[in-house]
Amino acid sequence: MKKIRVGGAVASVAVVALGLSACGGSAEPASEGPVTGDVRVWVVGGDTPEEARAFLKSTFEEQNPGSTLTIEEQAWDGLVDKYTTALSGSDAPDVVEIGNTQAAAFTSAGYFAEITGEQFEELGGDDLLPGFVEAGDWEGVHYALPYYSGSRVVFYSEQVLGGTEVPSTLDEYVATASSLKTADRSGIYWPGQDWYNALPFIWENGGFIAEPKDDGTWEAGFSSEGGLAGLEQIQEAFNTSNAPKDGQETDLQVPFCEGKVAFLSAPSWIQWGIKAEEDAEVPGCLATYGSDLKAFPLPGKDGGAAQVFAGGSNIAVAKNSPNPELAYKALQIMLSDEYQTMIAATGLIPAKVSLAGQVPQDDPIAAAGVEAAKTARLTPASPKWADVEAAGILQAAFTKIAAGQDVETIAKDLDTEIEKILNS
Amino acid sequence: MTTSFLDAPAPASPPPTRRSSRPPRRRKPVLPWLLLSATLVVLGVFTGYPIVRLVVMSFQEYERAQLMGTPAEWVGFDNYVSILTDLDGFWTVLLRSFVVMVICVVLTMVIGTLLALLMMRLGKGLRVLVSVGLLLAWAMPPLSATIVWGWIFDTEYGIVNNLLTRITGDRWFGHSWLLDPLTFFMILVIIVVWGAVPFVAFTMYAGLTQIPGEVIEAAQLDGASALQRFRLVQIPYVSGIITVLIVLSMIWDLRLFTQVFALQTIGGDREATNTIGVYIFQTGMAQGHYGVAGAIGVIFVFIMMGLSSYYVRRTVQEEEL
Repeated sequence: MKKIRVGGAVASVAVVALGLSACGGSAEPASEGPVTGDVRVWVVGGDTPEEARAFLKSTFEEQNPGSTLTIEEQAWDGLVDKYTTALSGSDAPDVVEIGNTQAAAFTSAGYFAEITGEQFEELGGDDLLPGFVEAGDWEGVHYALPYYSGSRVVFYSEQVLGGTEVPSTLDEYVATASSLKTADRSGIYWPGQDWYNALPFIWENGGFIAEPKDDGTWEAGFSSEGGLAGLEQIQEAFNTSNAPKDGQETDLQVPFCEGKVAFLSAPSWIQWGIKAEEDAEVPGCLATYGSDLKAFPLPGKDGGAAQVFAGGSNIAVAKNSPNPELAYKALQIMLSDEYQTMIAATGLIPAKVSLAGQVPQDDPIAAAGVEAAKTARLTPASPKWADVEAAGILQAAFTKIAAGQDVETIAKDLDTEIEKILNS
Repeated sequence: MTTSFLDAPAPASPPPTRRSSRPPRRRKPVLPWLLLSATLVVLGVFTGYPIVRLVVMSFQEYERAQLMGTPAEWVGFDNYVSILTDLDGFWTVLLRSFVVMVICVVLTMVIGTLLALLMMRLGKGLRVLVSVGLLLAWAMPPLSATIVWGWIFDTEYGIVNNLLTRITGDRWFGHSWLLDPLTFFMILVIIVVWGAVPFVAFTMYAGLTQIPGEVIEAAQLDGASALQRFRLVQIPYVSGIITVLIVLSMIWDLRLFTQVFALQTIGGDREATNTIGVYIFQTGMAQGHYGVAGAIGVIFVFIMMGLSSYYVRRTVQEEEL
């Protein structure tokens, strides 16, 4: 019995300690005078530039004396799980960034505070990116507003490409990549889990991800004729890649900076990783392959820009925010013209249509991003789509395609699983 | 309440006459319960309440919206029926977990025992060295360990692919170890066994060194070979320790989570590599079906209780001696 008692005592001490430390985190808001407190803003990934973060913090703390603002960066990987627990708890963050395709899972379940019509007008109204406003609405009520949009572009360095011409159609793109591929150099550097890159191939070949049928159920389209043609071309493109067949799209600057990549299809902000100094905390290669970094929008089947995935983020105030009033003020700053101009300067498309001109036009990478965004498309508009992403079935399917397995079988299995989730 | 504890006579009822002839009844021990109360409250709040919620939830349709306050609907045994009829999902995952568990437990026990026997034969200096090595592996958090092992087997830059390329002369760069479920589980088993061996080795070493030297010596004089001494003398002496170690290892290896989850993030096919712990997390946290995940949890609790009942019974028997 002795052992067990000691164990129990240790456990209870540990539990009490944990409990106490959990209590320490929340501060009681003062009941008199202006409400003060610490507002926690969660941004995801490295898209939000350092300059904008500093501006948000200093402006907020200036406007609300006595209050502080903390920015906490989250990872895209596993975001839906994390938000589900974090936003429903009593220790929820105040303002959160959420992927536009993930927003519906939370707006439909009441995780975000409502944005009234009056507030909506105040924050930009019709000037806000319409597709993203729609992504953040649920049953006619605004919950999440646009934060920024960004579509993928194809990066390259002429030092690697040599005299090869930049491709002008999707077929040419794959063919060029194939001719550039050697044992040491990827034609298209494409880690198998990066399924966002695969969507344009599906759409350009006439396929679809999932569409609602007349009876209201969803039908997945990877095994449709166009879908299969797309998947075959994707497998061809994977063959030109030396990237890990089951790898993720993290640290893409590492292989690029080794000069082992001809084409890299990635979000436009990756450029800052590549253009970083060699001795930076996360090293880039400003002196070598980053010095002549260029980009073009992924070409379509018949020339022009391909229909790419409209990536981007929405932003919302958490329903369980301890300081909703302060959180709204932070939201106001993040949607202000000044803040959004800083977002635009990095080549991302700002949340307001009127600020689109702020994206530097003379920068070829930013221009490629704007060009790509014009024909960008979204994932299926179902609140359960986020569950499809979170279940990891797309990553698994494209990993298998990268590994060279039979496309038709994978497509059928994938469609079955997607329909199962969307129609559950 | 207090009156009954203090045995104060109730004025309304006549005092029982027979009681006075008996020796005074021992008072109920209050102090032990008082001392235990803090632990009990903490256990009730942090373990008891979640378990009750888990069971309640498993009979409800509980999704993300319910988490934010929408009332949950009672669905009876629907969640259980859908799980127990799900051959491709639940049963496959459960079978996979058991196979992984059996392999891990066997390897852990064999390697751990061999290490304990080795330590008994080593000189002091070497024994300290081995102990420190084992302790370091034991002290390493599973998450860090998994990430480091992930780097070792990294597709592009991993040391294993590098060495294989040098030794065989073939090109191993770009070979994904995690892509094939079979090699995924091979790496998983390495990580789990690597982390579990120190505990078994130390416990077995402690047990084996407690066997009186005379017994071994006597067996030796009777002509028992080293293998016979191990099988017929040493093993029976520590059989109690061995069963406890096996049962504990079974429980630990069945509820694997960190290593599988972290390894799946590095690479591999989630669908084909889920074990029960990760499956519950996937169903509940990632997809938001808390009711179904709760029901799997309850079923899993029963499986675990079945496994640990032996351990508990054994512990209780030893207490009684």
